[in-house]
Amino acid sequence: MSAYNRGTELDLSWISKIQVNHPAVLRRAEQIQARRTVKKEWQAAWLLKAVTFIDLTTLSGDDTSSNIQRLCYKAKYPIREDLLKALNMHDKGITTAAVCVYPARVCDAVKALKAAGCNIPVASVATGFPAGQTHLKTRLEEIRLAVEDGATEIDVVINRSLVLTGQWEGSDFIKTSTGKETVNATFPVAIVMLRAIRDFFWKTGNKIGFKPAGGIRSAKDSLAWLSLVKEELGDEWLKPELFRIGASTLLSDIERQIYHHVTGRYAAYHDLPMS
Amino acid sequence: MAATRAGPRAREIFTSLEYGPVPESHACALAWLDTQDRCLGHYVNGKWLKPEHRNSVPCQDPITGENLASCLQAQAEDVAAAVEAARMAFKSWSAHPGVVRAQHLTRLAKVIQKHQRLLWTLESLVTGRAVREVRDGDVQLAQQLLHYHAIQASTQEEALAGWEPMGVIGLILPPTFSFLEMMWRICPALAVGCTVVALVPPASPTPLLLAQLSGELGPFPGVLNVISGPASLVPILASQPGIQKVAFCGALEEGRALRRSLAGECAELGLALGTESLLLLTDTADIDSAVEGVVDAAWSDRGPGGLRLLIQESVWDEAMRRLQERMGRLRSGRGLDGAVDMGARGAAACDLVQRFVCEAQSQGAQVFQAGDVPSERPFCPPTLVSNLPPASPCAPSLVGGPWRVPWPVVVASPFRTAKEALLVANGTPRGGSASVWSERLGQALELGYGLQVGTVWINAHGLRDPSVPTGGCKESGCSWHGGPDGLYEYLRPSGTPAQLSCLSKNLNYDTFGLAVPSTLPAGPEIGPSPAPPYGLFVGGRFQAPGARSSRPIRDSSGNLHGYVAEGGAKDIRGAVEAAHQAFPGWAGQSPGARAALLWALAAALERRKSTLASRLERQGAELKAAEAEVELSARRLRAWGARVQAQGHTLQVAGLRGPVLRLREPLGVLAVVCPDEWPLLAFVSLLAPALAYGNTVVMVPSAACPLLALEVCQDMATVFPAGLANVVTGDRDHLTRCLALHQDVQAMWYFGSAQGSQFVEWASAGNLKPVWASRGCPRAWDQEAEGAGPELGLRAARTKALWLPMGD
Repeated sequence: MSAYNRGTELDLSWISKIQVNHPAVLRRAEQIQARRTVKKEWQAAWLLKAVTFIDLTTLSGDDTSSNIQRLCYKAKYPIREDLLKALNMHDKGITTAAVCVYPARVCDAVKALKAAGCNIPVASVATGFPAGQTHLKTRLEEIRLAVEDGATEIDVVINRSLVLTGQWEGSDFIKTSTGKETVNATFPVAIVMLRAIRDFFWKTGNKIGFKPAGGIRSAKDSLAWLSLVKEELGDEWLKPELFRIGASTLLSDIERQIYHHVTGRYAAYHDLPMS
Repeated sequence: MAATRAGPRAREIFTSLEYGPVPESHACALAWLDTQDRCLGHYVNGKWLKPEHRNSVPCQDPITGENLASCLQAQAEDVAAAVEAARMAFKSWSAHPGVVRAQHLTRLAKVIQKHQRLLWTLESLVTGRAVREVRDGDVQLAQQLLHYHAIQASTQEEALAGWEPMGVIGLILPPTFSFLEMMWRICPALAVGCTVVALVPPASPTPLLLAQLSGELGPFPGVLNVISGPASLVPILASQPGIQKVAFCGALEEGRALRRSLAGECAELGLALGTESLLLLTDTADIDSAVEGVVDAAWSDRGPGGLRLLIQESVWDEAMRRLQERMGRLRSGRGLDGAVDMGARGAAACDLVQRFVCEAQSQGAQVFQAGDVPSERPFCPPTLVSNLPPASPCAPSLVGGPWRVPWPVVVASPFRTAKEALLVANGTPRGGSASVWSERLGQALELGYGLQVGTVWINAHGLRDPSVPTGGCKESGCSWHGGPDGLYEYLRPSGTPAQLSCLSKNLNYDTFGLAVPSTLPAGPEIGPSPAPPYGLFVGGRFQAPGARSSRPIRDSSGNLHGYVAEGGAKDIRGAVEAAHQAFPGWAGQSPGARAALLWALAAALERRKSTLASRLERQGAELKAAEAEVELSARRLRAWGARVQAQGHTLQVAGLRGPVLRLREPLGVLAVVCPDEWPLLAFVSLLAPALAYGNTVVMVPSAACPLLALEVCQDMATVFPAGLANVVTGDRDHLTRCLALHQDVQAMWYFGSAQGSQFVEWASAGNLKPVWASRGCPRAWDQEAEGAGPELGLRAARTKALWLPMGD
């Protein structure tokens, strides 16, 4: 991360003054998805851009070094080389923004990425993911260990019991959810978060990043998220330092769409390498 | 890899992340125009009408200027042919049971569903509006409208018993309109059994396509006829024999002129004028959402006109910053591009904006424009005007000013308190629609109830639904579409004869009722009854008239019955003032409290029964009949008191969580000129509904025998608060003139001569007050339907739709 959130004095009166009108936000969420679409080479370019925002994620209980390795390779080569060549994008160094794994797998990921010869950052979920209901001491220790293993980004699950009682924590990035909830990244929630990021920037000059995670599976979804950020925050937020998409299966759908854009045909399952 | 379809630009776009064009193919629209050989005529009686020797106007793509087709301009005989077709069709269409009409409307909805691409591309192509708005908004709503009204038609026999369709409706649409405006009006008209002749401006193919789709359904070809022609045809259509009602949408001044020219003509007139809307942003609002409300209202292709934006001073800077930031992200472009917010509405609309901006700037206003907008004409950038001095000629509040806020202009001005916001918002002659943005429930409702407009959205803007009535008040015209009110627009009570022309060509509007004929003393009052009350009943007490003179009233045998005061212009002024003073208190009363006072008056009338009956006897009534009249009058008071308890209701709208309230609000100060006949019963029958709905009244009692009304005044003096009901006696024509020309009288009921009716209709154009004139036709006041029917209730109040979306 280039610049850290320098933070500001906690001003609860500011927070208590914030008004959010739920039905109006729902309407805005509907409209944003309907009013902005991109087609043809715009779509292809936007999709490739979306790839560079992806935190390619695996958060399964049965993760082992072999599938982590595969994941890291996919992070390095997210789109088939010939497809990128056809788009004249093969020299752009398109990779995903990061790989995101459990703390115990950070080691594997770092090793695999090193072997692949790239400097994609490794992000780790930590602090009692996904509930965050562990002691502060073990939470901090978890972070320390993950960093020791080579993780450069930590997705912290905040202690929501503190939030619900008004005791806030600061961060460089805010994330919609862990991806492990029944409802994860939704547009209305994202709108409220993005507006909060903008207000915070206007007030303090600090740019906070945004990461929707969970349930973003289709290429079309990813385009909608890009235009949402573009509409609410502007182009300056559309870079990996400030915008990430947490996803595991999204990348393969994007690759399929790129395949279709380049060849004019729909890809078979085996046409594209798995992650 | 095989042949590549990738363009060269992906690299650049990858860096710039710009939006690209999302063109919608309009091939099917062009193909449809080809079926007409690119020459559009009129669609009458299920056939295309392409008469020879007509001028034609090119229908152009508003952006490229490309000629799409030529449109024949109708002449008077084409109008006559269309009206004749509609008249013939009316006979069978209205005679069929509602279910048959419902079937036809449903079939039309299905046809629209099947051909929606044609409809939306054609509409977007020729109007320049964003195709997304037409496709996702208008076309879907058009189908919902047909379905909703099909249901209304199928239940018409029960739900609207006692009402019958008016006949042929002439619909006049303004130069810039969406076909949806037409759908809003033809659906209720067709549903209740009326047939329609729509006069659309030159080069509007979509209504013609709709008429074709309807006509090709078969059995009822003549129910919807569309002719296109210039504005000069409006009076010709309006005065065509057989047209029972003219529904006019358009500019204020044209509506006013039409109101004058149609005075005394056969057709009734419904006006929907102006397009501007209002948005009230308070300091407790979710400002980002309110900014989206502004976008919906003025900077999208959803709203038809400009917006007045009132922002609470304490959040002014914040709101302006967010507005300007948001404007920068708006996109304008060709309407057929699927990713633009705003299309273009032609060169004329563009000029209007430019003139408005220049004028505002010369008055010292600040103008901010932004957005991704093509620089060439006819695109207008979203425009935000602030610091406009209130007295500037283009300030929206200026009464009678020539300037309307045009699309896509927003004029922002600050206010300090909610109370002041109401004063500013209501301080214009317009009363269309408004939205209130506030997270405080009490404040939002206070503002929502207090705004004098037809529609209020709380924390939303521009929502629409077929079941919710939409209309206006004040100079926005009082015609309604949608919901129950939309149906009543095209109905009249069963058994009422078709409205006839009462036009008197030699009626001189300048002199009608101007002078009061002088009256001389006619000797002392004689007879058995006690001396009648004397004076004008104004502000709760009897007053001497300004003219200090009196007029004699004779009984049925020609003897002097008594003297009444000779009221004049100054007395009317005083009476209207008194009524206005009493209005807020009375309108704020609960229906129950109002009913209690009406019941008290009824009891007082019964106590006074013998005096009233003997006065009626002197006017020639049998004793029995006279007593019956007094009793019936008392019953009427009680009945209206009870009836008004169950007023207004809640509507449930698809897709909206939360209710829409259909409120029935008082009109304000209502002027009532009573008929000569039934001097007591007619007076009370008119007074009761007017007061029950919360109006205050200025009444001119029966000219033949005003004494009965004055007797009632003696009781009103003790029962009612001062100013609630004011009674002015005197020369009927003179008082009518004073009331009809009074700008601060909100509505007028006139039961009198044909000439008087014509004058009242003409004079009402001043403030466009709704008028109800009898046109010289007597009314059976002792009959329930005519003396106390639902028609009176409808006319005594106006509707307001209050949208209350909910969510946590």
